[in-house]
Amino acid sequence: MPDGALSGLRILDLTQGSFDYAGRLLAGLGADVIKVEPLTGDPVRGMPPFPGDTPHAETSARHLHLNAAKRSVVIDLESEDGRDALRRLVANSDALIESFAPGYLAARGIAYDDLAALKPDLVMASVTHFGQDGPYAGYQGAEIVDVALGGYLKLTGDADREPVKPYDDLTTEHAAVHAAAAVVIGLFHRDATGEGDWFDVAAIDAALFLLGGVAQIHHFDGAIPVRHGARLMFNNPRYPYPSTIRPCLGGFVHAHSNNRDAQLLAVLMPGLGLEELLDTPMGNADAIDEKMDEWLADKSKFEAVRRAQELRLPFTEVLTPEEILADPHLAARHFLVELPHPVAPPSAQPGAAAIMTGTPWRHERAPLLGEHTDEVLTTVLGLEAVEVAALRERGVIA
Amino acid sequence: MTFPPAAGPHGGTRPLTGVRVLELTTAVAGPIAGCVFADMGAEVIKIEGPRARTAAQSGTPPPVEGAPDHPYNRAPFWNELHRGKRHVSIDLAQPEGRALFLRLVAHSDVVLENFSPRVLGGLGIDYPDLKAVKPDIILTSMPAFGKTGPYALRGSYGPGIDAMSGLSHLTGYPDRGPGKPAQFYLDQSAGLTAALTTVAALRHRNRTGEGQYIELAMLEGELQLVAPALMDVKMNGRVQSRIGNRHAWHAPHGVYPCLGDDRWVAIAIESDGQWRALAAAIGHAALADDPRYATEPARHAAQHDLDPLIAAWTAERSHLDAMHELQLAGVPAGAVLDVAEVHADPQFEHRGTLVWVDHPELGRFPHTRTAWRSRRGHHGVAGPAPVFGEGTEYVVGTLAALTNAELADLEANGTVARAPLG
Repeated sequence: MPDGALSGLRILDLTQGSFDYAGRLLAGLGADVIKVEPLTGDPVRGMPPFPGDTPHAETSARHLHLNAAKRSVVIDLESEDGRDALRRLVANSDALIESFAPGYLAARGIAYDDLAALKPDLVMASVTHFGQDGPYAGYQGAEIVDVALGGYLKLTGDADREPVKPYDDLTTEHAAVHAAAAVVIGLFHRDATGEGDWFDVAAIDAALFLLGGVAQIHHFDGAIPVRHGARLMFNNPRYPYPSTIRPCLGGFVHAHSNNRDAQLLAVLMPGLGLEELLDTPMGNADAIDEKMDEWLADKSKFEAVRRAQELRLPFTEVLTPEEILADPHLAARHFLVELPHPVAPPSAQPGAAAIMTGTPWRHERAPLLGEHTDEVLTTVLGLEAVEVAALRERGVIA
Repeated sequence: MTFPPAAGPHGGTRPLTGVRVLELTTAVAGPIAGCVFADMGAEVIKIEGPRARTAAQSGTPPPVEGAPDHPYNRAPFWNELHRGKRHVSIDLAQPEGRALFLRLVAHSDVVLENFSPRVLGGLGIDYPDLKAVKPDIILTSMPAFGKTGPYALRGSYGPGIDAMSGLSHLTGYPDRGPGKPAQFYLDQSAGLTAALTTVAALRHRNRTGEGQYIELAMLEGELQLVAPALMDVKMNGRVQSRIGNRHAWHAPHGVYPCLGDDRWVAIAIESDGQWRALAAAIGHAALADDPRYATEPARHAAQHDLDPLIAAWTAERSHLDAMHELQLAGVPAGAVLDVAEVHADPQFEHRGTLVWVDHPELGRFPHTRTAWRSRRGHHGVAGPAPVFGEGTEYVVGTLAALTNAELADLEANGTVARAPLG
């Protein structure tokens, strides 16, 4: 097996929950990502869904996906011996990522400055909801709280209803991508200069980063954009339209104009009088919706998309998770992978986030809790088996 | 202060200083990837055909006083997306344009592109062509669905891919149709992932001398985030659907109305302790240990009964007051801010998340930096976006080493443009 792009790098992963996605990306790119878990395990191991809806520390879908290709070491950071083991691991690693509440590591003498004293070129990323300092640093975050503060929640949903949260942990995971990028950029800089760095990544910043263009609309127009269903929020009447989701026979389609040729929609849907509406498409969005609904009413999403795409109109089907698993395109690309696991039943999980033709993505199952504790403590730290046994006896490791 | 102000473009070496990126991008996702490189110190050259600007860039603010009236330079979002980059317009469909581009590739580290899959091949600048002139080049492509498979040639923008990833189906109200996360999601997400994988590939190149081709199918990047719903199908035969502001297992969880028009506070109770804190904070301490709500499953089943009690309390407060009171009581809560409130928010102000940059024709306006600050000041925004053709002399003259006469010929025959055509 050829090397991954990050082969030879050892990264300690002390993140939890959906922030685990950062380490997942780094492991996929070939780094040796060692997950340092508390005695009770990463909380993600307790998060649904589980096979048969039966909670089990090894079978959470989130854990199987987000911790794939990592190693697992269980160390109790509440004990001084555990913290000492962590310090020694840091001295033998390139980078560390963590998602504890600000101040947690400092209170235990293992904050960035403590660790950098042992390993001056350490690259560390701390990813939290609000960041390491500032007026909200002591506040408690959650996905819905982060998207609320980032201005993202207010713009999701329908104008006549309350704002509605996007699916699951999208922003937490987006913050995790920023954290992974920061680590790799930091390591690139370290390789060039020998300097370490500490990155303070905030999920509220990630939410704001996702807002794309809205800050500029406000700045230049003084406008405060409002949520508008599935439409884009550019309020210039000449802006291309549609970009929305409409009902069709038995489902929904995402309808989008060809941004270069507004009149193509009238070619797809002839005889409805769309032509005159398309001179100022965004200004006529409601009327365009009505005409589209008429055309879509007797067509399945698959037929509507096929006919639109033939004209190079970028329509797509709104697919359900079940339809995605059966999708012929993903099957042809062998995207979904089965990673045989000693405890969890066979499952299809997402494969590579990117195809790296020179440095293959690493597909390996998620580790059992503490599966690599002995291996890492003996090979990385050079402990004797008897020392490992003594630490285990005292409840420092598991 | 723990984290210093951003190290400016001239404030020391930034992490990607010395890396040169040729950016052949359109729409949002590709430019976002280029932003990360530019902000981190790389030299990013946006190469655009003379007819690339679309109606999407129409309707622009007026020029600042004294600036020339070039509306094509004043699309606000385009300018945020191209901050800190250089710009040259080359018609790659002309043989001289292709030759010029390949001369630039020979002096570059990365080519970043997000056109539909047949474009590069059609222009004769696919990976083998690039590799022939620069053996260790890294080409990063961001096709919507990938370069192979039945949908390879489908067109789509980011929100259309949300539809096919399940995100649309899973976002929205349980009693209404599929939704969309705010303005964009996937474009930013894929752009960051592309930057991550490309820097990793640069690291590999520095160690081994080997470049590579990276194919980042935007759909496959987004499906990573839908894993819980995808895996639930096979694990349990369950097809998840929209649950609005509910959480799959935590409760209570939602947005609650506050004083004023369209003002809300988001509350997420993720533990029994937080529930007790909430119950006390809203004046219902007696409910804290009520067996109907004492455990998470019980609260989850009964959250419809709890919503009116919470809403009665929030309705008497501003969304900001509700957030601060609840947070001080130990309850995760966030005011649902609009964009004006975001611009005035003290936490964003403290973090410097929005960076005001002075553009020569648009004036000062806010740009959102990546989600990190760094101890070395490796954060922030590199500088204003270039006006059209800003880097022509540098790119064609200095980098490609063409003479002034040769550049004049390319301009005369329309291969290099100083202003957009059509």
